[in-house]
Amino acid sequence: MMNLCIRFLRPLSPHSLLRRLKPYFSVFMMRFRIETQYRGAALGGIITQVFFGLMLIALYTTLYQSAPQTVPLAQTVTYVWLQQSCFRMLLSTDSELMQTVRTGGMAYEMCRPLSPYGFYYTRAMAQKLVGSTLRAVPMLLIAFLLPAPWGISLPAGVWQLGMFLLALFMGLLCTCAMSNIAMAFTIRSLDNSGITSAMNLLLVTFCGNLLPLTLFPDKWQKFIRLTPYAQLLDAPIRIYTGEYTFMQSIETIGIQVFWTCALIALGYFMWHRNQKHMIVQGG
Amino acid sequence: MDTIKLYLRSMKMLMRCQMEYPRSFLLNTLSQIIMQGGELFAVMLLIDRFQRIGQWQGKHILFFFGMMTITFYLVECFGRGISNFSPVVQSGALDTMLLRPRGILTQVCCYAVDPRRLGCIAIGIAALCTGSRACQIVWTLPKALLLLESIAGGFLLITALFMIEAVTCMHSVKSIEMVNVFTYGGRSTCQYPIDIYPGPLKIMFTVIAPFALTLHVPAAYILDMQILNLPGWAAFVTPLSGLVSFLIMYTVFQRSLKHYRSTGS
Amino acid sequence: MPYIQVTSLQKSFTLRKKRPHSFRRDKETVHALSDVSFSIDKGELVGYIGPNGAGKSTTVKILSGILTPDGGSATVNGRIPWLERKEHVRHIGVVFGQRTQLWWDVAPMDSYKLLRDIYRVPEEQWKKRLGELSEALALEDFIRTPLRQLSLGQRMRAELCGSLLHSPELLFLDEPTIGLDAVSKLKLREFLKEENARNKTTILLTTHDMDDIQELCSRVCVLGHGKLLFDGHLRDLLSRYDTLQFLNIRYASPALLPALPEGCAATHRDGAWQIAYDPQKIQTPTLIQLLQSAGTLSELSAEKQSIDHMIARMYEEMHL
Repeated sequence: MMNLCIRFLRPLSPHSLLRRLKPYFSVFMMRFRIETQYRGAALGGIITQVFFGLMLIALYTTLYQSAPQTVPLAQTVTYVWLQQSCFRMLLSTDSELMQTVRTGGMAYEMCRPLSPYGFYYTRAMAQKLVGSTLRAVPMLLIAFLLPAPWGISLPAGVWQLGMFLLALFMGLLCTCAMSNIAMAFTIRSLDNSGITSAMNLLLVTFCGNLLPLTLFPDKWQKFIRLTPYAQLLDAPIRIYTGEYTFMQSIETIGIQVFWTCALIALGYFMWHRNQKHMIVQGG
Repeated sequence: MDTIKLYLRSMKMLMRCQMEYPRSFLLNTLSQIIMQGGELFAVMLLIDRFQRIGQWQGKHILFFFGMMTITFYLVECFGRGISNFSPVVQSGALDTMLLRPRGILTQVCCYAVDPRRLGCIAIGIAALCTGSRACQIVWTLPKALLLLESIAGGFLLITALFMIEAVTCMHSVKSIEMVNVFTYGGRSTCQYPIDIYPGPLKIMFTVIAPFALTLHVPAAYILDMQILNLPGWAAFVTPLSGLVSFLIMYTVFQRSLKHYRSTGS
Repeated sequence: MPYIQVTSLQKSFTLRKKRPHSFRRDKETVHALSDVSFSIDKGELVGYIGPNGAGKSTTVKILSGILTPDGGSATVNGRIPWLERKEHVRHIGVVFGQRTQLWWDVAPMDSYKLLRDIYRVPEEQWKKRLGELSEALALEDFIRTPLRQLSLGQRMRAELCGSLLHSPELLFLDEPTIGLDAVSKLKLREFLKEENARNKTTILLTTHDMDDIQELCSRVCVLGHGKLLFDGHLRDLLSRYDTLQFLNIRYASPALLPALPEGCAATHRDGAWQIAYDPQKIQTPTLIQLLQSAGTLSELSAEKQSIDHMIARMYEEMHL
């Protein structure tokens, strides 16, 4: 553990920092290029997600007619669109990576002169960023063009838009940390299906994809708001719709920073232990 | 008869294959139960907040949810070969099937089973029973038979929809995600009664992919409610639309098999 | 009428190539078979060879009813495979060396039971046949072990048994010896010879292993660029290319190689020479005498060209 801290805190000159980050940048660009090749799949994904968005909005519209709520309908509609368009950021299966783990190619990857944690973190980030941007931009365009009860509303204000983007980026950092933790579990057990699907369920439920967190029972919301899941998309969306005041937004970003750091530290620790375990296994 | 014997024998064998990995099987079944439980949980939270959707109350919604879940996961369990067709083509299993003196659809059905989905079906049954009890349904023989007919019709309909994807797989090997709008989209949409949706969605799932006819009309009859302004006896006829869809897709499937045989890979 | 009759068979595929940075795709037509005719009698054992991509698998797939050809005709025992699929496949067996038709997680025995039901083989007949096969292929030791735990050689034997259980008249073998060790290979060949002799099973064998062909096949067909380039006895094929021999020599003390007659080629390696020559142009004793004229030889050995080299040269000369 001591060793770990020292590695973290080793002083770096700006020049050597740059040199040490370069490989990670290359990994990112590589993933970026691979992801942009799947444009055809992205189109199919967009159509499916738009359909789900429309269906959910139809459902909520009918629901609102029978029982008006404190959260206005337009806000829920916006919530649905932002959730659907950024869906890829939360769940993205890297089947190639799973294959590497199952076939034992992982030990080989561990031998690279890079921090494996950093390597996979960068990889996940590129994948999530490109995958979700490719889908989100056209989807949001469609959502903006749709007529009033169906379309997405504009952000509440200029600073809200800025804060939203910042919070979304923090959410991305956080979700990458989460998928690295899932990955650490997978490497440990070599069988991902059970644990990953359970983790995915937690993710889908508590980040507000199955049902907007704003529609959860009010008492629960106070607690759910603080969980790491809520930091991914729910928190940025609430800033976007103007539900939070400026001070609340700052507070939200603080919570995000806390969770991101905590999850990265946990993940890093788990990977570090895995690595030791693997070296022992290799004899 | 002979075909049914073959199917049962294949199922027995596939189950034994699954049991070769008991730990993985248990974990997967458990996570399937949790997944479907999560869906049910979301529906219950929604009911808790809004109390009613259109003319329907929470107890009705539970009944609809149960019917859809049971039907959909029966297909995912016993029709796994069709609902997950692209590996059949990619692994070359389809070529092997062509080398055997049996119908291809029979062999595809015998190719895979996914007993983990039994967990999801159990959740569906639980929702159905809870809904039925809350609605105080008086079960009569016609109602019970109608429930079975409806589930059978839905089973055939969902199988037919998955066959669309299977057909696209044979043409280009890569499956098209868009078909999911009808299958998984249909499941999510039609776990709520169709009359709460606006026109286009109503038409889509009544005329094009008749979930409303196979599941909702009979369910409304069983619940002593009215849907789509249809007379009571119609409930016994509409599930047949599932059979019609299946027969259409069966023909298309056989034709595209001919096409596959002329291109192959 | 011959058992298999193939007349000017044609088959082409369109490949779609994706252009970089574009959604458009280029189409390209590949003629897998452009005009292939041959006939095989009942009980023959025929080797079907050719470089990768020559159209061997396409022929096998057409003859087994998986593919429909674009032109020409093919009949097996009077049936057209792709039109009368079910009736046709009842009488054939196929083994793909790199793919399994048995179920991965259960023992071969369980797979055989299911195959019995698929092919509707009567119980008595099935038992008898299984007894024969398991003895001939020595399956007893592992017939109740899950397939995934078997070695490659065991798996291939189990596979063969699976495709012969319904006593097919015709057997297609696609690279059956790939990846097998020497013992397994020899046993497999022995078995195929016997099966062919005893049950008059017609066998069409595609392979890259020339020893398989040499050991098993009296007749060989060479396919290249979708055309049949040779059809006849292996010996006749080889005699055309069996024109090169080699002499390996080493001089006792460093010496210059004498001027060699036309048609000879010399290569130098680690102080030794290898001379390639055509024995019909220059006789071996004459060549040795010539070489000795330059100095005393400390080593001398002769070598024939390997069959793989000959085939490689043949492919080269046929521009394959």
